[in-house]
Amino acid sequence: MINTFERRTALAHLVEAEGVARVNPPMLLEAGQYFELAGEEFGRSLLMSLANDGIEYCLRPEFTVPIVAQYVAQGLAGSPVAYGYMGPVFRQGTEGPVEYVQAGVELLGQLDPEQALDEVLTFARRALGAYRITTPKVRLGGVELFEAVLAHAEMPDVWRPRIRARFGHPEAMTRLLDRLAESYADKPEAAAEPIDKAELTEYVADRMIAAGFNPAEGRHPEEVAERYYEKQALAAAHVPLPTIDLLRLYLSIEGRASTALDEIEALASVYKFDLSAPLVALRHHNATLKALAPQSTVTFDASFSPRLEYYTGIVFEMLGQSGAVLATGGQYDRLLQRLGATVPVTAAGCAVWVERLEQEMQS
Amino acid sequence: MSNGLTLAIPSKGRLEEQSREIFAAAGLVIERASNSRSYFGTAARLPDLSIRFMPAGDIARELIRGGIDLGVTGQDLIEESSEDSEVSVLTVRSLGFGQADVVIAVPDPWIDVTQIVDLADVAADFRSRHGRWLRVATKYINLTRRHFAQHGIIEYRVVESNGATEAAPATGSADFIVDITSSGSTLTANGLRVLEDGVIMKSEAKLFVSRTAEWTPMRKAQLEALMSVLNWVPPGITTRL
Repeated sequence: MINTFERRTALAHLVEAEGVARVNPPMLLEAGQYFELAGEEFGRSLLMSLANDGIEYCLRPEFTVPIVAQYVAQGLAGSPVAYGYMGPVFRQGTEGPVEYVQAGVELLGQLDPEQALDEVLTFARRALGAYRITTPKVRLGGVELFEAVLAHAEMPDVWRPRIRARFGHPEAMTRLLDRLAESYADKPEAAAEPIDKAELTEYVADRMIAAGFNPAEGRHPEEVAERYYEKQALAAAHVPLPTIDLLRLYLSIEGRASTALDEIEALASVYKFDLSAPLVALRHHNATLKALAPQSTVTFDASFSPRLEYYTGIVFEMLGQSGAVLATGGQYDRLLQRLGATVPVTAAGCAVWVERLEQEMQS
Repeated sequence: MSNGLTLAIPSKGRLEEQSREIFAAAGLVIERASNSRSYFGTAARLPDLSIRFMPAGDIARELIRGGIDLGVTGQDLIEESSEDSEVSVLTVRSLGFGQADVVIAVPDPWIDVTQIVDLADVAADFRSRHGRWLRVATKYINLTRRHFAQHGIIEYRVVESNGATEAAPATGSADFIVDITSSGSTLTANGLRVLEDGVIMKSEAKLFVSRTAEWTPMRKAQLEALMSVLNWVPPGITTRL
């Protein structure tokens, strides 16, 4: 029986493997960048501290953002680098602050992004293997695949970004699709009395001034008037019912990866959508996972995605027999530009939760 | 020092008056020691009961933490102070006053924003238009975050506001607010309008028992005795702690 210390040492070797640069970003970080990227939703899980000058700091809640920010700041954007890390992260849990140990890798600027994801999957598999977890349940999600479905689906363009924004948020997505279906059932409303836009802008500006708001601050009168028209246009721009049904059907597809991907391929051929690129990538990584862990079950869930819009191609989770999420990761190309990279940079990475691995091994 | 129970009453304003009235009507006359500025009180019928006068927000926090045994405060403050209030406090009963709603209110001239979905839409592209996040002023940071998360609103920031929240949109420190209101007149006077589906929760004053306080058999007996004096709930409340 190998003890906890030796297993952690084995994990440390993985994040320092050949060609991987181990980094150790500061534990005290400016909280602003997390709020910038993820808003209040993620912000509520930060352990915050306020400096005397009013700047908010947080204890490191994860590794990816500081590592990527540093990579961009050093002017490396575009050059292939593999980073590894292992150390404590801090979160605000429901019952108070919690400290965990995370280990992981980030592969940035790699020439072959699919190979990079394979390497990330291999890392995750080995990290679990260090804890004798050889039959994890793997859950795959397709961000690029959903974006492709959305791009092909017939609907007024104004709705595409609004539907995309709700991907990874099943309740909000259901609510939106229900609302779209209902509004489709309604007869189109009689067009409101057309008002001249300049006139409407002036009307809004007058009301702002009368109510004591500064029209130059925050939302401008033109912006309010514009969106008022846009809202009318949205109400008139119906998403066809067959499209809503298709999206609902697509998002409900979940099961053994090969079967689920076959279903999606069948759906694509019925609707004449070209989904071949994302489907080929998913099948490839499914095969990689099968080769890495022949006993494990790999499922694909069409509605699965992290809530953060910077994830791009494929995302994954590895779960233990208890259902605990042991590893999470995927491709997140958009993060680089969100953090200031001026050229597109591919990115793939994952993190494992060390305490959960230890617990899983014991049970 | 006795090891008796501690009951907290809001320390000022209508909430204090109404709390003392309703306890007096139930036969428990609460005296504020020496003068109205003291933070301690007594009830002649129950000499072992310590009474403390505290701000309603502190009462909510202390109930959750177990620093006091019972207290009168608003449901809104309990929900704000705890992710899962059922775990930390037990509601004895509603007291029939302090009714108010926690609402989302936007500048009335925002004629395009009538529901939460509009707000989600405005939030989504606010940053690209203005180079900053849409800001909501509130003292209900946790309630706001939880409610917005449920509605899939992600792109915003909270500006903490303690007092005169309704003025924040006019002064430019925030774009809209989440605040408590009973009649809505303060909001209207400040040019704000509650969204059609903008009621986050309905609140009122309640008597709560802390589940996290130390409940020895002796103290449980004291709680049952207090409840039988008040006669608001049937005997046996301690079995639910």
